[in-house]
Amino acid sequence: MDSPIRAFSRANGKWGLRNHVLIMPLHSALSASARAIESASDGAVAISHDWSGEDGSDLARIILTLSGYAANPNNFTTIFLTLDSAHEKEIIARAKLLGLNNSIELSLASVGSMKKIIEIGILKANEELAKARTQVRVPAPWSAIVLGLECGGSDALSGITANPALGVASDRLVELGATSVLGETTEILGAEHLLAARAINEKIGEQIVAMVARYESSINYEGIDIRGAQPSRGNIEGGLTTLEEKSLGAAKKAGNAPITGVLEFGELPQSSGLYFMDTPGHDIEQLAGFAAGHINIVVFTTGRGTPTATAILPTIKVATNTQMANALSDLIDLDAGTIADGAETLVEVGTRIFNEIIAVANGQETKAEQGKHHEFALSRMYKTVVKDLIN
Amino acid sequence: MVIKINGFDHENRGIGIRHLQLILPSVICSTQVSRRIANEVDGVTFAHQHGCAIIGDDVAGIDNFFADLAAHPNVGSVLIVGLGCETIQGQELSAKLIAMNRSTKYQITQENGGMQGTFDAGVRTACELAKNFPAKRAPITELIVGIDASREEALIDAVQTELKSLGVTTITVDSHGSSAQNFSELMRKRAMVIISFPSPEQPASGFPLIPVINIASKSALHIAIADDFDLSHNATAVEIADKVFSIAAGEVTIAEKNITGEILAPRLVRSV
Repeated sequence: MDSPIRAFSRANGKWGLRNHVLIMPLHSALSASARAIESASDGAVAISHDWSGEDGSDLARIILTLSGYAANPNNFTTIFLTLDSAHEKEIIARAKLLGLNNSIELSLASVGSMKKIIEIGILKANEELAKARTQVRVPAPWSAIVLGLECGGSDALSGITANPALGVASDRLVELGATSVLGETTEILGAEHLLAARAINEKIGEQIVAMVARYESSINYEGIDIRGAQPSRGNIEGGLTTLEEKSLGAAKKAGNAPITGVLEFGELPQSSGLYFMDTPGHDIEQLAGFAAGHINIVVFTTGRGTPTATAILPTIKVATNTQMANALSDLIDLDAGTIADGAETLVEVGTRIFNEIIAVANGQETKAEQGKHHEFALSRMYKTVVKDLIN
Repeated sequence: MVIKINGFDHENRGIGIRHLQLILPSVICSTQVSRRIANEVDGVTFAHQHGCAIIGDDVAGIDNFFADLAAHPNVGSVLIVGLGCETIQGQELSAKLIAMNRSTKYQITQENGGMQGTFDAGVRTACELAKNFPAKRAPITELIVGIDASREEALIDAVQTELKSLGVTTITVDSHGSSAQNFSELMRKRAMVIISFPSPEQPASGFPLIPVINIASKSALHIAIADDFDLSHNATAVEIADKVFSIAAGEVTIAEKNITGEILAPRLVRSV
């Protein structure tokens, strides 16, 4: 099948499925300015975060998340709001190494005040948006699609309807030469042996098992049994009983394709194929890791119904059940509950998801894009504030 | 207190210097609709990344942090906005918060038919809360001033002495290096105004529930962004104390005017 994808060509050979002007604050005190620029501009997107340039054990992870996100091929231009700190310079330098497209640095000290950074930011954002609108989509290969697979607010139907249907779509895309990435280490815990058995070689199989073991021990290290916290309360109300049951269903998003490789959080896949990325199950931290790893489109299955997405990744929401799809229609793009009702087969719904991915890749807006869901979260492995603050 | 100032009677929370309506997202998934609601009703909200996929001490920790926000003397009413399936459940959080702030209600997206439904219900509930719990004026009985000593500053002792002589309670915390962390801790100790001495390489910043008076240092950054500071490095203890009283009486700080500042909620355990 010839590729019907039309995308934005980037100088580094990557493909953007969107042409965003992203406002990225590199200090929490500039987050409000970033949001103010977003709301006054003609369509720029902004993120907010709570990092104030602190050193500490999570610094490397924060730098890789922000730099990878900035350099994501869905960004036409990234406007950095900065304090000119050494860490910020490191973020921008790493983004450039990753193929950052256009960029503008607005330094608070150079412009002179928060008020000025907003005024100048709006002008610059609108100039860049005007330039972005002159770039046209051109025919792109299937490999232009780097799909992220996500689930959130799972229920008892997740592993029967939406997830395996997404697996059908993912398998087809991988077969055609696209890249597909499964994340959420929490949610393959207990199913890792099944994924390892699908690895293209033994070494990658061992890496999958080791990644999951590393994850579980990092939780056990805290003196906590993850199985006591997962499935979440919402999952249990949705009919899930154990973490293993949740994992067996969650892993179905990745279909049956062989697994080409494993990725650390925010790492870029080096070829097409199916990958596993070590991310938390926290939906937004995961999306930030996906964006940092240059995934450019996401399908997000949900049983309970969740609105979230991140600023630069078009995110297609697939409902596991028709009741929720109807009740929360302004969150949901596709209903896979028809499989449980016997109205459609897995392959039919998988084909609908496949077609929706192509339509959205080519520019169709998702519900989350219409709703301006620009959530962002920095994944942290360590505490952010001293222990005596919590009592 | 030597100087008489009219504040807002917030019942068991004390007499605050602001009458703010907190639109509190109980989970990151509700932060976007919370901001829409806050913009519509002129409430205060903040983006955070908590409320779900948390384990261990963080579950109670975040819950308690939210409770301290609701119990703050500057807060009038609280609208909790939840999604529905998260770890921190809006209904339970609401029950906990009501003990500290009876003007608390909640709305849940999964019970309101999606985002537009949540927005409509949220705006309606926030307006009801504002109407049912209006701003009652009363003289401030105890003015609690937090000091963010993110940098070493000889002036801090003199400021405390001056404020104490005027009957003001001052509190400090061990600095964590960033003002954002210190603000969260000062909030938990019920600071109603904060005097911030940010480190030389950090900007002026704010905290959504508490007016923050930023005092500049002589650093190159602070000189370059002089307009973001309420007072320059030349300010005396008496001038700073005067500023505290005018801000307590209703003058807005530059951070309030610019709507600058996030709320950094503590985290102890990696997210899952």
